[in-house]
Amino acid sequence: MLLVLLAVLCLAISINSSRFYAIENITGILRQCALVLIIGSGMTLLLITAEVDLSVGASLAFAGVIAMDATNQTGSVWLGAPAGILFGGLVGLANGIIVTRFKVTSLIATIATMMILQGGVFLYSRQAIQNGSQLPAFSTISTGYFGPLPMPVLIAAIIFACTYVVLRHTLFGRYVYAVGANPYAARLSGLNPERLKLIVFVVTGLLTGLSGLILASLMNAGQPTAGHGFELTVIAAVILGGTSLKGGRGTLLGTLLGVLILQVINNGIIILGWDQELQLVVPGFVIVLAAYLDIVRRRDNVR
Amino acid sequence: MSAELAPKVVPAGPALAMTGINKRFPGVMALENVDLTLERGKVHALMGENGAGKSTLIKILAGAYRKDSGSVRIGGAEADIQAPRDALRLGVKVVFQEIALISEFTVAENIFLEKYPTNRLGAIDWPAIHASAAALFARIGFDVDVTAKVGDLPLSQQQMVEIARALAHQARVVVMDEPTSSLTPGEVELLFTVIRRLTDLGIAVLYVTHKLAEVFEIADTVTVLRDGRRISTRSVSEHTEDSLIQDMIGRRIETLFPRARNNAGGVSILSVEGLSTDKLKDINFEVRAGEVLGFFGLMGAGRTELAKAIVGFEPIRAGYIVVDGRPLSPHDTRTGVALGIGLLTEDRKTEGLMLELPVSKNASLAALGEFASLGFVHESRERGAVQEFVDRFKIKTPSLDQEIQYLSGGNQQKVLLTRWLMRGLKVIVVDEPTRGIDVGAKSEIYAALDRLAGDGLAVVMMTSEMPELLGLSDRIAVMADGRITAMINRDDATQEAILNAAIA
Repeated sequence: MLLVLLAVLCLAISINSSRFYAIENITGILRQCALVLIIGSGMTLLLITAEVDLSVGASLAFAGVIAMDATNQTGSVWLGAPAGILFGGLVGLANGIIVTRFKVTSLIATIATMMILQGGVFLYSRQAIQNGSQLPAFSTISTGYFGPLPMPVLIAAIIFACTYVVLRHTLFGRYVYAVGANPYAARLSGLNPERLKLIVFVVTGLLTGLSGLILASLMNAGQPTAGHGFELTVIAAVILGGTSLKGGRGTLLGTLLGVLILQVINNGIIILGWDQELQLVVPGFVIVLAAYLDIVRRRDNVR
Repeated sequence: MSAELAPKVVPAGPALAMTGINKRFPGVMALENVDLTLERGKVHALMGENGAGKSTLIKILAGAYRKDSGSVRIGGAEADIQAPRDALRLGVKVVFQEIALISEFTVAENIFLEKYPTNRLGAIDWPAIHASAAALFARIGFDVDVTAKVGDLPLSQQQMVEIARALAHQARVVVMDEPTSSLTPGEVELLFTVIRRLTDLGIAVLYVTHKLAEVFEIADTVTVLRDGRRISTRSVSEHTEDSLIQDMIGRRIETLFPRARNNAGGVSILSVEGLSTDKLKDINFEVRAGEVLGFFGLMGAGRTELAKAIVGFEPIRAGYIVVDGRPLSPHDTRTGVALGIGLLTEDRKTEGLMLELPVSKNASLAALGEFASLGFVHESRERGAVQEFVDRFKIKTPSLDQEIQYLSGGNQQKVLLTRWLMRGLKVIVVDEPTRGIDVGAKSEIYAALDRLAGDGLAVVMMTSEMPELLGLSDRIAVMADGRITAMINRDDATQEAILNAAIA
């Protein structure tokens, strides 16, 4: 159904603008999908375990600032880049511990870490941290190409493929579903739901750190204001892809389609020259529609 | 507007007449040409296995589903029930198993939820509400504090609040869906007394149940449904237990409690010594290989707590649990499972099933590690193993990929049993293994438990159902207030001895 929606969107936009199918436009869309898809892969796992992380937007900005700063300080991208990714991982670890040890609902816990990070990043640096030594290697992370594929798209594809395989074919993936569907039954069956959720929080955090790094590379600076509201874009895409907030249900293919649909809508609004504000309005309607259709479909299944 | 307590003038004729009711769901005819007539002042039992159409029929009556065709007449007049509020307005009150009250509101508030009595100034007239509520309870002969919060009341009393709500709406028909499924014997008696009061008031009661004994005790007439069709409607006095079972399942059950096992002199597998938790006090017992140890107790006796403590799910204050010579260390939630103890929980939905996941994944959960190498699951091997159990237990499911929520209770239970059998177990603890399960599936669950014991497992069964306790156990432990008050051998077990120990 999402596939049909995507096809209809592409068709509709391309009829009205010949620019849609231009190679530059397609790569542009994919490039924009990359960041959402990377974090979205982790967020899908997290939502399936019936948890959520609202701090990814703030963590994204902070991780970018850290990566840039560490690169400047050490003069090496090879030290700076992992620092950013690691920072994201630590944020994920903190979220995970607050949720699984202290039993604070993830919604509340991650709103809190979001606030801490949003404020904290300004305490860390009042303004954007520029690529001081103008290391070309830093910007290559986002501007480089692998064959025809822009580097971020390649990274996103690899991350997506890995998470897909893990979720679909491994014990870990199956346990992710089980823990979300019925934590009690999972524990009874010998699993440790808390530890598993903690791992998924860390994974989401690491992927957020990675996205922060790519974003900083794209801007060639660590920008404290970046990523504002990004968590909602990610969650919207995952939900649009059919993942349930209640846990136990969702697929990565759905998330991929969700990401593509939202970005195609964005792109369509730009190349058709519509008001920018519609970039928020239209996806809002699409999500309501998709959620409603999902309910209708499931109701028809009920005996 | 004040609370109108006088019954409406009731026209002659049956209180409720449903004729030719049809209801189709995708792929299945849930109800086919079903008739049901309720007389005023009588209790009419509705029986049938899960999936027979009982729930569908009462949901149509309650306005939760709409019928495809057929007619519903209430008190002789054609009734058009489109939504739950229509049913209530027309005088039909359905008391579902899941009580539909607002737990944060008081008893009185819940009763007059739709229309609070008001005084001349239009403000809510609290004295009137409390007085009217108390008056309603007086009519059914039940005493409760009408200013108590509903959430603080035990389930049995919440049920009474629902019944009082029916009176407040001048219901002419009260439908009760498996009302005794979580009541103690004393509460059941009380409920029956209240039901008799309702019939004295001229109300027709539709009593939906699985339990044969209750039908013979409370009902005047019984209608049996099977596969969406009405099989029979007869006066209860024309029925025997056998004839009812035969109508329900369409065949005879040779014996409800098959006993194929021969458990002479097994070795002790599970031993519990001096176990105490917050609720349990100094519990001691042993279970041998091939033995079924039944635990009986009234509500609150501590059966479920014991079941959970054995698998390591309740913090242990003192004592040991030893499985095959290996002790269960306190505070380690994994150990119970790791030592080979499985628990079939009382509450299938919230503690057992992964409702939206398919049958295969529900079945393989505990044993999944055995179908994996290097962390990757071999799905074909997994499905092959599940399929074997589906065949062996005759689990009725269109495919392994069907979401388990669409299976009947009995089949769900068999899948959960499979979850444990696929994993090599030494001890299985089953808590109310046949709750909400129909007769046909019950005997299959009993056969499965018998077979498990026959295979050398130690079986611990917590139950509040006397027949299955007596029918399946080799020994019976009776619990009261967190202690074991009696340990009775199968041959010495009588209902009186067990009940006496349970009240002690």
